[in-house]
Amino acid sequence: MYEELLEDIAHKSALRETHTGVKIVTGAGAIILCLLSPGFLAPLLVAAVLLMALVFLARVDVSTLGHVYAAPALFAVFSVSAIVLVAGGGETFWQWQPAPWFSLSVSRAGINQGVLVFARFIGGTTGLVFIALTTPMTDLFSVMRRLRVPDEVIDLAMIIYRTIFMVMAHVVQVYGAQVMRLGYSTFRESLHSFARLCGAVFISSWEAGEDLIRAMEARCYAGKFAVLGKDRPADPLSLAAVATFFVLTGAVAVTTADVTLF
Amino acid sequence: MGPVILEARDIWYRYPRGMDAIRGISFHIRRGEKVAFVGPNGAGKSTLLLMFNGMIRPDGGVILFDNKPIQYDRASLRDLRRKVGFVMQNPDRQIIAPTVYQDVAFGPVNLGFSAEEVQAAVGRSLAQVGLSGFERRPPHQLSGGEKKRVALAGVLAMDPDVLVLDEPTTGLDPSGSEDIMELLEELSHQGKTVIISTHDIELAYPWADRAVLLTNGTILQEDVPDVAFGDPDLIKLARLSMPTLLELYMELKKRGFSLPERKPRTVLDMLNVIDRAFRNRPCYTEPGRITVYDVDAPCGLSLADWKAGHAGVAIGAMGTRAKQRAAEENIPLDFTYGVIDKCILKALLGEDSLIVTTGSMVGRVQERVREFGRENRIEIPVNIAGEE
Repeated sequence: MYEELLEDIAHKSALRETHTGVKIVTGAGAIILCLLSPGFLAPLLVAAVLLMALVFLARVDVSTLGHVYAAPALFAVFSVSAIVLVAGGGETFWQWQPAPWFSLSVSRAGINQGVLVFARFIGGTTGLVFIALTTPMTDLFSVMRRLRVPDEVIDLAMIIYRTIFMVMAHVVQVYGAQVMRLGYSTFRESLHSFARLCGAVFISSWEAGEDLIRAMEARCYAGKFAVLGKDRPADPLSLAAVATFFVLTGAVAVTTADVTLF
Repeated sequence: MGPVILEARDIWYRYPRGMDAIRGISFHIRRGEKVAFVGPNGAGKSTLLLMFNGMIRPDGGVILFDNKPIQYDRASLRDLRRKVGFVMQNPDRQIIAPTVYQDVAFGPVNLGFSAEEVQAAVGRSLAQVGLSGFERRPPHQLSGGEKKRVALAGVLAMDPDVLVLDEPTTGLDPSGSEDIMELLEELSHQGKTVIISTHDIELAYPWADRAVLLTNGTILQEDVPDVAFGDPDLIKLARLSMPTLLELYMELKKRGFSLPERKPRTVLDMLNVIDRAFRNRPCYTEPGRITVYDVDAPCGLSLADWKAGHAGVAIGAMGTRAKQRAAEENIPLDFTYGVIDKCILKALLGEDSLIVTTGSMVGRVQERVREFGRENRIEIPVNIAGEE
């Protein structure tokens, strides 16, 4: 019933006070580097460095990381298996023919391709997870402003962000009330309960929306919303660390471009 | 008491579904007053409160702010809402921005303050409610009491003359409720007019200068709290219950005890009543000393130093900044609400105590202790820390 949100982890992260731009450049740069790297070693290095940063610098719990990676990792294993089986070319590494009309074969090129995709996936996901677990959404609004996103979009994003948690709290309450009265005991009952849950949340959201307008009016709303706190200056040490990270991983990407598993 | 700031003349209001919510109400509120509108659910308290800042326009009658009828055009309403701050019952519905800073800054930004002014206003109002350092926290991570304080800070940032709070203690634990009431007391001492609606009669009774008893959209009684809540028939009609201390006083009186005329509003007053009733003379001989430590005027002595030199003295803190200061210096507090009275009680037992408070409340402490002394013909020494 009580879920820990990525957003809450980001708020508690020890890297929370680090300059938002530096963290986004690190995460986004890592994703781009993984996509551009022709070899599989550089993305794995990127993933290893960022994971260590998450565990030792951001002080994110290892079991939390495990949970975060579980779903995408499962998806990756299935996708990569398909790639390994489908991608052809080169010498056949393994073959299995259980019936005359059905055979499975894996080529060396297929394995290399699968390993590269898997490494890119791990590196890219880690880049994204790095941003998600160190930078709360509230800090991203000021980045959006700097990127010249229109004020209307930022205002809307801010209201949506605030409202999501209120709607979610309401969903949890109504769902709990339904479960306590055996609302999800049978499939048929579950369908009914879920429909009622949606109805209740819709109505309360509508009322919350009307209250929002009243609250804004009572506080002299004149079309301005997106005021953002002051940015902290980027600390030279973190800039140097990020630069070193990119130089190192970039160099590995170039020098190990031709390295394959087989 | 100052001049009249808010006045209602024969107000009528009917809900869209046709029920009369307010039926011919007239009253006035003076600048600097603490007024509690008390009544059962559905009495029309919230509807009436929403008229004070023009959110609801009465169907009949007129509301005056600063002796001028409220105008309902956009510019006048904007001006009115700047001067009359409204804090809703549910802070989740009032907090609209994703961080505390952004929410508190909402009013000042829309009033066209410059960036520096916004920052100063946010810093000031967060300090007033004791939430400095919460600027970057998202509202969903705050407790009920903290959310209430953020909602109040958002209104304080516009520096209103009048603060209107709809059920300010709903959903808070007893200590959180006491904190909010004490904060309202502090704001009142800073010159704000504070109006609340509540059905918690025990909270309203010691706090309010004046109480307005509402039921079915009409005023049943409007007076100082001991008179407003002192009529058992009216209290029953309003589906409320009499404050315990007042009830106890009435019961003692019925039994023929000789009691002071002033009805008790606090445990201290009650003790005095009982004392008079049974012995007809106060029970103290050598009163203890009350020392006041002003956190705004450093006396060259830290709280810890003072405590070290006065072992075993009970310490109470009044006001959020005073409590923060005590927390910073790791000073355990014996009292956090009703502090002056509790220290007088200590003094009556012949024990010394220390009140940690802010500059604006030092005079209040001295005045309250003097007033008690006058009423009971006793002198309790009060001195400022560092001037001993």
